[in-house]
Amino acid sequence: MLTPEEWSALWLSLKVSVWCVAAILPPGVLLGWLLARKQFYGKALVEAVVHLPMVLPPVVTGYMLLLALGRNGWLGRWLHEGLGVSVAFSWKGAVIASAVMSFPLMVRAVRLAMSLIEPRLEQAASTLGAGPLRVFFSITLPLAAPGLVTGAILSFARSLGEFGATITFVGNIEGETRTLPLALYTYTQTPGTEEPALRLALISMAAAFAALIGSEILTRRAEQRLSGD
Amino acid sequence: MLFLDVGLNRGRFRLEVRLECDEGVTGLFGPSGSGKSTALGIVAGLLRPDRGRIVLDGETLYDGADGVCLPPHRRRIGLVFQDSQLFPHYSVKGNLLYGLKKIPERERRFAFDGIVDLLALRPLLNAHPRRISGGEKQRVALGRSLLASPRLLLLDEPLASLDTGLKAQILPFLQKIRDELKLPMIYVSHALPEILQLTDRLAVLDQGRILAAGRLDEILQRGSEARHFGPDNILAVTVELHDLESGCTLARFGNLPLVLPLRTDQEIGRTAYVSVHRGEIALSRNAVPELSIQNQWPGRVSKIESRGSGVQVYLDAGVPLIAEISPRAYRELALQEGEIMYALIKTRSFAYLAARTMLDQSASP
Repeated sequence: MLTPEEWSALWLSLKVSVWCVAAILPPGVLLGWLLARKQFYGKALVEAVVHLPMVLPPVVTGYMLLLALGRNGWLGRWLHEGLGVSVAFSWKGAVIASAVMSFPLMVRAVRLAMSLIEPRLEQAASTLGAGPLRVFFSITLPLAAPGLVTGAILSFARSLGEFGATITFVGNIEGETRTLPLALYTYTQTPGTEEPALRLALISMAAAFAALIGSEILTRRAEQRLSGD
Repeated sequence: MLFLDVGLNRGRFRLEVRLECDEGVTGLFGPSGSGKSTALGIVAGLLRPDRGRIVLDGETLYDGADGVCLPPHRRRIGLVFQDSQLFPHYSVKGNLLYGLKKIPERERRFAFDGIVDLLALRPLLNAHPRRISGGEKQRVALGRSLLASPRLLLLDEPLASLDTGLKAQILPFLQKIRDELKLPMIYVSHALPEILQLTDRLAVLDQGRILAAGRLDEILQRGSEARHFGPDNILAVTVELHDLESGCTLARFGNLPLVLPLRTDQEIGRTAYVSVHRGEIALSRNAVPELSIQNQWPGRVSKIESRGSGVQVYLDAGVPLIAEISPRAYRELALQEGEIMYALIKTRSFAYLAARTMLDQSASP
């Protein structure tokens, strides 16, 4: 049905997206919680920086990543020489590009879910003897679960569709960084490949659609659990 | 025993509270916005005051000078909110066990089964918090707090969101907690009758300040705080006789004889609290013979205040009384400060709030 190249693109996209969600979930939850519940110096600045990738052209984000994390970038050199890790032009770099692009979606979803939790539920828990950690894991996190699910799925979908930042940062290397959108783009640039381009477009649409449906079902199930149905 | 002396500034709101609570129930009375919930939040550790000291049973919970501030989960102070705040992702049983299960066995003050039976929660244990009624929720919230083995229980308007019938259903449970568990409680409410169902030892809070504290009859005697109890005159009276034949209970209010509706459950010789609405007091220049109104007391008009649609007349009849008359009546009477007027009050206008006999049981440790 699919050619090995198309399979490889699909597989790579899934791998990058799964890693992306796994990587941004913990910091996203933490930051969402901080923004929803805490007042601190420089909060507005933190918010602006987190949301920057949503409003910047993705190419700019990709280029910034390249400058920072490329072999000659200040962070990239340190990573390469210190830890022997190189992210530029590898699938790990694609994960980073996706993560930066979808992080705001995750933070927003978590933040919204947590700000909707009645603070007195957490206060009640603390008067019952629960320390901050237990309050967070037994009250805040479970009650924010629908928001976490939404955030994860939106990030996953965003990551599947990531194009600009990825191609700028890690290029378009088959089998390494050529994800689904990049493969689709490549086909559209080559004469006589309308058929595989169309197949990949359909797959992309199906994946996005499945993600949205899945999000809806999971969110509804989590909400039902909270309302006792 | 709780000692509290704290100050807090929040923009335009300023709270300065000094309060001592012994065993038993202490009422904290005040209108909404007076700072009652803020004061409770400070005691529970949810709010940090700017200065002062909080000591519970000899342990310092907060000391502004030393920088001591125990977090809420180390204070062992229970707090029941007006709207229960049950955890929606736990069953009723899960809610009840939330505090209990982290407390070592030997430090538990109340047994699970004991509290479940006391509050009649057994049929609800497997239910979901969203599926039970408001009154049931409040009982679960009470049980959840009790099972966390608190040294002090704070109740923040626990009946305010329930309708009258449900209130009457919850009160006996609160009385049981008071009498059977001997747990010190601070009961916050803007409804004096509700507080009086549990205690007559109270503090009156208004605009962030304690205006009076002590036993209600003593507070009333001092007189100046009477206006804080809302549109009702609250009277601490001594019950003298139940006259079954005439269908009245006779009592004494200061030096004044008082004819009240018959209530034989009010013990002779004890203090009872009755209320009469300001608007239910009529004024007359002379005593009116051949009138059905049984209570006619002379008193000096000490102050006249025109407020809104009514005129408030402060009467000193040996004890302070406030009558509210219409501006028209005020004009026609040509009322002057300093003159003697008779307060006319129908027997049926009096309502019983509570008797000290019932409250006395709570005072004994």
